[in-house]
Amino acid sequence: MKYYKSLYSDSDTYLVMTAETGNSGVSRRKFLVTSGVVGAAGLAGCSNAANDGSGGSDGDSGGSEDTATDAPEESGGSSPEPVTAEGSSTVYPIANSGSSYWNSNPPSDDGEYWGENSEGSVPGWDELASNGADGMRLADYFASLYGFEPTEEFATPPFSTRVGLSHSGTGCEAVVDGLVDIGNSSGPITAELGWSESEADERVVDHVLGRDGQPVVVSSGIYDAGVTQLSGEEVRGIYQGDITNWSEVGGPDQPIYVIGRAEGSGTDTSFRLNMLGDADAEMDVDTRFGQNQQVAQAVQQNDGAIAYMALAFTGPEVQPIGIDFDGTLYEPDRDAENTIFDSAYPLNRDLHQYTTITEETPSGTDRREGAFMNMFLTTFGQEVFVESNNYIPLPTADIESELAKLPDQS
Amino acid sequence: MSRFSRIERYSRAAHNTARRLRDSVAGESPVAVALVTVMALSLFAGLVGFLLVSSLTAIPLAIAIVAAATGWIRYQELTAKVLAGTMTVSTLLILVLIAGFILWESIPVLRYESVTVYGTEIPGVRMFIQTRWDAVSAPVRYSMVPLIHGTLLVTLISTAVAAPLGVAAALFLSEIAPRPVRELVKPGVEILAGIPSIVYGFIGFTILNPWAVEQFNLNGGGTYLFVGMVVGLMALPTVVSVAEDALSSVPESMKSGSLAMGTTDWQTMVSITIPAAFSGVSAAVLLGVGRAIGETMAATVMLANTPRLTEPLVNVFYGQATLTSLIASSYGSARGNQLSALFAAGAILFITVLTLSIGSQYIEARMRRKLGGEV
Repeated sequence: MKYYKSLYSDSDTYLVMTAETGNSGVSRRKFLVTSGVVGAAGLAGCSNAANDGSGGSDGDSGGSEDTATDAPEESGGSSPEPVTAEGSSTVYPIANSGSSYWNSNPPSDDGEYWGENSEGSVPGWDELASNGADGMRLADYFASLYGFEPTEEFATPPFSTRVGLSHSGTGCEAVVDGLVDIGNSSGPITAELGWSESEADERVVDHVLGRDGQPVVVSSGIYDAGVTQLSGEEVRGIYQGDITNWSEVGGPDQPIYVIGRAEGSGTDTSFRLNMLGDADAEMDVDTRFGQNQQVAQAVQQNDGAIAYMALAFTGPEVQPIGIDFDGTLYEPDRDAENTIFDSAYPLNRDLHQYTTITEETPSGTDRREGAFMNMFLTTFGQEVFVESNNYIPLPTADIESELAKLPDQS
Repeated sequence: MSRFSRIERYSRAAHNTARRLRDSVAGESPVAVALVTVMALSLFAGLVGFLLVSSLTAIPLAIAIVAAATGWIRYQELTAKVLAGTMTVSTLLILVLIAGFILWESIPVLRYESVTVYGTEIPGVRMFIQTRWDAVSAPVRYSMVPLIHGTLLVTLISTAVAAPLGVAAALFLSEIAPRPVRELVKPGVEILAGIPSIVYGFIGFTILNPWAVEQFNLNGGGTYLFVGMVVGLMALPTVVSVAEDALSSVPESMKSGSLAMGTTDWQTMVSITIPAAFSGVSAAVLLGVGRAIGETMAATVMLANTPRLTEPLVNVFYGQATLTSLIASSYGSARGNQLSALFAAGAILFITVLTLSIGSQYIEARMRRKLGGEV
């Protein structure tokens, strides 16, 4: 992404400079000097990337957690191996914020990141404190549940964690090949690697620590005019060009402005698969955007728009609507009987974290992985790592079935 | 100019270059020559190593740096000459490699879109003889026609905005405006050229698009008409600046001669200055057009990015996609043939802009030859 951005700005510089070549030699020289500097910076970037590739088992994500990750390695071979993860950019925010918290190992009187003090406490702290977290550092507490010795040191967890950023398919391959402990994937491994269900059951364990949701939204004008819910059939008709006017679905006499997402992106594919029935299904949309922000802006600006987008970008101008799938109405309300937050809602997708079944760990998840993942399955983890990153937290029933996949606590 | 004389000229130039090279080496000690040869060769080896992603690349590079440093201290003149030469070569080489890479990456889609005519396969033809672009559902097709159509419409509209405004402004600045105004406005116009294109695009997306939706009762709002106007405004400073240079490079003696014949200022402008600077002004417009074709951000944020022909073809109240906007909006999620098709779009852009820029330079060179101008 950064790479492409710099290409844009370079081409702009070039064009500006061509405009001036007619009258000044100085600016041309300046331009060459500048581009030389840019080039050198680019080369420096390249060599760094090369070092990363040859040196480590995964791309370290940079930022504040780097120092935290390195510290325990220096402290010698006595500490357990770090937990490494790799994969989808959609799962990355959850896994990476969890990893950052883990590696910094904040004390329980921190208040902001862990535990409580006079200024406040973290979400779900009462429950954790009553289970023995009081007085213990974050990683110390969660690791001790699985029998690891607390370090009681800042930035030195009992074992460190590292999360790399790539793609779902890369993450699945890396975990199957044993390059990392956890493979992050926004799609099921069966789709990513072309496996059968039984092969997936035999070789990996699928942990779901959060959910990504795509509610269908409409412009406020349409919502106010009474279109507060659509059936799955109607949405399909709109996105395949059979329904082109709001009056056909009980709205005002106004053409429908259909907004889709970039062709071939994960969001586009899952919408075709879940809504239109086939990953290659024909689609007839008026416009395609790459980002949620653009979608939200376009829905606000146009009176007759329909779109699907991440939940975090909805608001009074961008109204999520209920969808009726085969008689079940999923409402955009957390307290309704069936809500768009449920895993049954067809436009939601599970965010997967795969671990492999090996001879040493026939259950698929060893104690280190269990200790790390258990952190996400608490009220604290769901709120801090899942919900604040704009994903959908798991319902209680799902949390219990996920906890059952982890090894027993000691 | 006859073909023969041109060949003769080239051969003489080559001969001169060879002689100059020989001369510059002749006076130097063999050690110096060996040193710069080692430097140049190891730089080249470094490049080869870089291209092969070899971990040994550092060795020839280190040798080159050591050789260059030693050479700089002991035989500065020769080293500087050779260094400058290698820099020039590397600039050209980088350009060639980029062009080659774009073409290379577009090969898969050319293969995919090949058409069999009388038993022979012609690659890439199907991208131009039908108009469907759909990267996902069957039949998957990557037609360049809607993209070229979009680019063409945007370019035509932006030229219609930038050319008359730009040339008029250049004429005013160069011939009519009093000196202080000119001194102030000319740099101002050049600063305008430095406004990042995303700023124009943002204004277009947040102000023009909603306004268009309301006024013309459109679905969406990003139309070729408004994108063309925004891009035209962006190309304006380029046109003004280059056209002004062309107009003011018309020799004062020609204008004075005309005025001495009793013409008015306006008659001189129309019958002497503009005709004399005509090729330079055309070059300015061509440069502006080049900018319009290559413009990315404004088109990307304003257009719908669903490649499709408009109905009818001249309807500018649709905004589908241009070559640049489709690349920018879908490179992130494109894979396989789709990515390759984006490279093919890039190759088309590259060739078009290259042609335009060579064309405008040719025109400029012609003007200089004709007028012996003082640019």
